[in-house]
Amino acid sequence: MSLLKLLKNNTRNVLIKCNESQLIFISSRKLSIVPSSYDGENPAPKFFSSGIQILLKRLTRPDYAKVFRKRSNSNAPMLETPQYKFLTDEELQIEKEKANQSADRLLQMPPVVKVHEPINDVLSKDPALVGFDSAKYLFTDISFGVANEHRLIVERDPDGILRSCDHDVRKRLNQIYFPMLGRKIREPLIFADDEKLHSLLDRQKYEYVLDRACVQYEPDEPKFQKVTSITYQHIDTNMQYDLLRSTRHFGPLAFYLTWHKCMDSLMFELVQTGAIREAVLLMSLRHAVHGDLKNGADSDALGKQVLTTPVQLSKSEYLTEEDIQLDNKCIECLDAYIVNNSTMKSQQGLALQGFREYYQQMVELSRGLKKAHGTA
Amino acid sequence: MPLPPASGTGRYFAKAAKSIRLLRHGCTNRPFFHISVTQRRRPNSLPVIEQLGSYDPMPNMDNEKLVALNLERIKYWLGHGAHVTPPVAELLGLAGFFPIHPRSYMTAWRNRATERENLAKEAEKAAEDKDA
Repeated sequence: MSLLKLLKNNTRNVLIKCNESQLIFISSRKLSIVPSSYDGENPAPKFFSSGIQILLKRLTRPDYAKVFRKRSNSNAPMLETPQYKFLTDEELQIEKEKANQSADRLLQMPPVVKVHEPINDVLSKDPALVGFDSAKYLFTDISFGVANEHRLIVERDPDGILRSCDHDVRKRLNQIYFPMLGRKIREPLIFADDEKLHSLLDRQKYEYVLDRACVQYEPDEPKFQKVTSITYQHIDTNMQYDLLRSTRHFGPLAFYLTWHKCMDSLMFELVQTGAIREAVLLMSLRHAVHGDLKNGADSDALGKQVLTTPVQLSKSEYLTEEDIQLDNKCIECLDAYIVNNSTMKSQQGLALQGFREYYQQMVELSRGLKKAHGTA
Repeated sequence: MPLPPASGTGRYFAKAAKSIRLLRHGCTNRPFFHISVTQRRRPNSLPVIEQLGSYDPMPNMDNEKLVALNLERIKYWLGHGAHVTPPVAELLGLAGFFPIHPRSYMTAWRNRATERENLAKEAEKAAEDKDA
């Protein structure tokens, strides 16, 4: 056993040594991603509106096998044995309800809000205090029961000016006196050093980066929006949307892409993988955010119809007549979108054509099966 | 020995005079102060009635001195007639909670005067060096 371990370790060392020249190559490469933040119009009212929240949650395509997966065993000294129980139907329903609730909690999306304004609030000027001390004095009100964002934090500068502290100082002092688990007072290296971040992104550790950003930053911080926008754009260019599905970050990703009107490669991926109903949901999301689709009303109506159907985690093998009807409507709606609004017309058109042919086969197959079973 | 709770464990007489003062809690060459309310005529080594904040007089890496004040409880004890010692009054003055303490103005003025003197001396020295 120990020999095997030694061998493993050694191979890793060898690998690392072999990769050294490559590593230098990777680190010297610059990613040409321009981060963008929500600094114009405030996206919060749209993001929090109930229609858009439902669309985003549905686009997340929650697969409970992934939502409840074991993510680390760092906190558990040993693995727990699973429990098997015999349940009646009612008890099973209750258990399912519990699972749904905890999944909702795990899939809560980080809010999308506008970048905060800098605080520039001079409380008093006292030139007679110049020279009192060469250091700044920071005063924090630690009264019980005050929320971090409403806490009174002021500074007395060496030039005698008493002012409210800016956001970064406030955050540091809040973290000193009321620490938040997992948040560091100094910025972690993965966010301070661009190369480290890019190496993580190249290894496709998107969820790790986004989780870490959620702990380290507040959603209205410019740095948070910078890091997340870089990650989202990296995912978008590499078409790795599947890595974020069933996580809490997919909603903000879809919202970001829609808000900046660059959701066409997501749309392309949806059509390519045959998630035609979700493509329609994405259309209605676009229409809800921007309202610039020609067949927006159609897609909204169709989206409402799609929301009543259950989530499709895998391709269904058996199609009912209602399914076929709905899917055909979706294909038509999407066709109109590709002609009128898409920026990837040819690729999406080809993908849709491929899906159509595949779908035709599926329809014929399921109708033939029905006939054979004598149920048609 | 663990620190006593901030709510304090000191004996408390309602009518005896109380004082809000700095209590040194650091070690050798590393001062650190608790802002506490205690019985006025009692040694500082005894448990306090309540801790109201802290003051770190050594500047941190960003050249800042950190002061924490539980303003709600400070107001409560002031309302009960607690006496405030000058160092605490100076801090509260700098925080904008009290008027600036006269001693703060004195320190500022003296510091400015010494700096002026030092500058003058340096200028003199520079002039002498030039002449020589």
